[in-house]
Amino acid sequence: MKRSIHVLALLFCSLLLILSACSSSDSSSGPNASASSATKQKEVDVSSPKENNEPVEIEFWYALGGANGEVIQEMVEEFNASQNEVKVNATYQGDYYENHAKVMAAVAAGNAPDVTQIEIGSIAAFADAGALEDLTPYAEGENGLELNDFIEGLMGSSYWQGRFYALPFARSTPLLYLNVDMLKEHGLDPAGPKTWDELRQFAQTMSKEGEVWGFETPIDIWFYEALVFQNGGEILSEDGTEVRFNSPEGIEPLKFWKAMMEEGSMKMPPGEKYNAWDVAASDFTNGKVGMIFTTTGALNSLMEAAPFEVGTAFMPMKKSYGAPTGGSNLVIMAQSSPEKKEAAWKFLKWMTNTEQTIKWSKRTGYMPVRVSAVESDEMAQLYEEKPQFKVAVDQLEYAKTRPMAPGYSELQEVIMAEIQRAILDQATPEEALNAAAQKAEQILK
Amino acid sequence: MAYVLRVLKWFEYVALILVGLIFVFPFAWMFLTSFKSLGEVFQFPPQLLPEAWLWENMKTAWESGPFLTYFFNSLIVTVGILILQLITGVLAAYAFARYQFKGRDLLFGLTLVALMVPPQITFVPVFLQMSHWGWLNTYLSLIIPYAASAFGIFLLRQAFRQVPEEVIEAARLDQASEWKIIWRIMVPMARPVLVTFGLFSFIYHWNDYFWPLVMTNQEEIRTLPIGIAMLKDASSGGVMWNVVMAGNLILVIPILIIFFVAQRQIIRAFVYSGVK
Repeated sequence: MKRSIHVLALLFCSLLLILSACSSSDSSSGPNASASSATKQKEVDVSSPKENNEPVEIEFWYALGGANGEVIQEMVEEFNASQNEVKVNATYQGDYYENHAKVMAAVAAGNAPDVTQIEIGSIAAFADAGALEDLTPYAEGENGLELNDFIEGLMGSSYWQGRFYALPFARSTPLLYLNVDMLKEHGLDPAGPKTWDELRQFAQTMSKEGEVWGFETPIDIWFYEALVFQNGGEILSEDGTEVRFNSPEGIEPLKFWKAMMEEGSMKMPPGEKYNAWDVAASDFTNGKVGMIFTTTGALNSLMEAAPFEVGTAFMPMKKSYGAPTGGSNLVIMAQSSPEKKEAAWKFLKWMTNTEQTIKWSKRTGYMPVRVSAVESDEMAQLYEEKPQFKVAVDQLEYAKTRPMAPGYSELQEVIMAEIQRAILDQATPEEALNAAAQKAEQILK
Repeated sequence: MAYVLRVLKWFEYVALILVGLIFVFPFAWMFLTSFKSLGEVFQFPPQLLPEAWLWENMKTAWESGPFLTYFFNSLIVTVGILILQLITGVLAAYAFARYQFKGRDLLFGLTLVALMVPPQITFVPVFLQMSHWGWLNTYLSLIIPYAASAFGIFLLRQAFRQVPEEVIEAARLDQASEWKIIWRIMVPMARPVLVTFGLFSFIYHWNDYFWPLVMTNQEEIRTLPIGIAMLKDASSGGVMWNVVMAGNLILVIPILIIFFVAQRQIIRAFVYSGVK
């Protein structure tokens, strides 16, 4: 009898312990918990008078891991130390897709962060849903910002229906990365191929059956967009309402990739979404492929990881050079209280100022988003030492904005699935693209 | 004849070892990879043993995030769930196994239905409910939705039903309370089942990736599987598989220890318990 009571007492004690641990963690995460819709109303009312000098705490969800994520953490810490009005809590939430899903869920649940990083193909979707704060009054207000200093080609993804929603931040463009040592070994031009035909020729020369591939690219929407642009085609019409990719210009890139895979000069990395990018990067740094497509944002990491000379070049041309811009912008969520939005704006302004832009670009490889940064002495010096960093900025001349349509973040996954089907021989390129176009009509409606 | 039997026995062993290898190999590969250098990981043809045993990988993995926090969070969540599930499971199972009451079969049927519904189906309403209560990013959202396990209730009910009626009648004659019968007679007699279920529950929730991923978005409350998944992104020059595997090793070591301890328990429980 006694023993059983002992056992029970022990069980309940440990239970109490756990529950008390719960409640203490509960209070520590209070500000976040109180973001639920019921309490938020109150917060708004109270926020106007500033009674004490406590810094305003804001949540920032970011979507870059690895070395780039560490740079973000460092910048946030520096921002927090530089002033005492705003305290930013930065949390990594996984890649763009994962962060996108988490922010969507959080908006529905009423506990969204105050600031987040959104991939530019999804900005229209978030803006159209009313989840983003219109930044126009902030930019024009007393604590405003000279928007003309942002590179014009990068601003296309910041507007939705004439309103300004996002500040360019981790902006990229795809590049052709070269294993310069391998190219030289085979007597190829170390500057890399200029056209699709040269790319194929280079790849054939470097390939060794089953061991080394000359070229590798994830079969990803972003690179597909690049090839369609190079071929003079479009993904959607300018206004984002009509499908244009199931055209001869859209079919040819798939035929090109398929032909290269069949002859063994191109490898398709296995893996879903960004896992495939990781495989391609690993293969590249381990000398298993000579050339890959990936983002300029990986430049610094790849140069550090590769035991050989890394070169970068424009994406090879067909009818012309061409590439989509990419990466992500910073946004403020509409759900936050006015006080937090004000604080968030200060943070955004700091993150995208000329000094931070230069630092961010130097340490990652992302493009400097401001004209004043591109023209700074510091960047000029970097471009002299590491000309690889300049290629992305130069390519900007040929770059296009990704389609801006609320349905595009959903549509891009459909297109990706279909073009992969074509590459894996489960459908002809024509069939796959027509199937994608059919689904697209419904999504865009 | 004896000879034939011996040969058959040998065949049996060989077959068992082959099947065993299928299960052991991924573990062994993870273990060995976690000590290799990145170059060796990508070597082709692959080598079984690392050239030098790199213990740094474990350190790199551990230091690439607040792993101590992850570890304690995992521990609190897993043990909390286990305790709650055992308490609710024993009580519910005893009622289902030993009492006659109106609606019993319907309730038990509903419990079985719950067994067939994966969390992916219920998580949206649960997520919204948790958010409504302000429980997201707390231990509560990780523990309370799993406070009762349909699987545990089902297993324990079967075990309790096998306890002979005479044992319980004898206890009742000795004026034992129902409470005492549950904890002094039923629970010890169902010990192998309890241990087995405890093991299942522990492993499932220790390894669970989905639920904590959905319910948390702050570093301080995340559990080990989330931390380890993020190791994959720890470098953008390609995945450092050796470090990821070292992280996985950190994740499975506690499970292996518990498994070995519990295994002895199961055998002992089988040997000494009155249940066949």
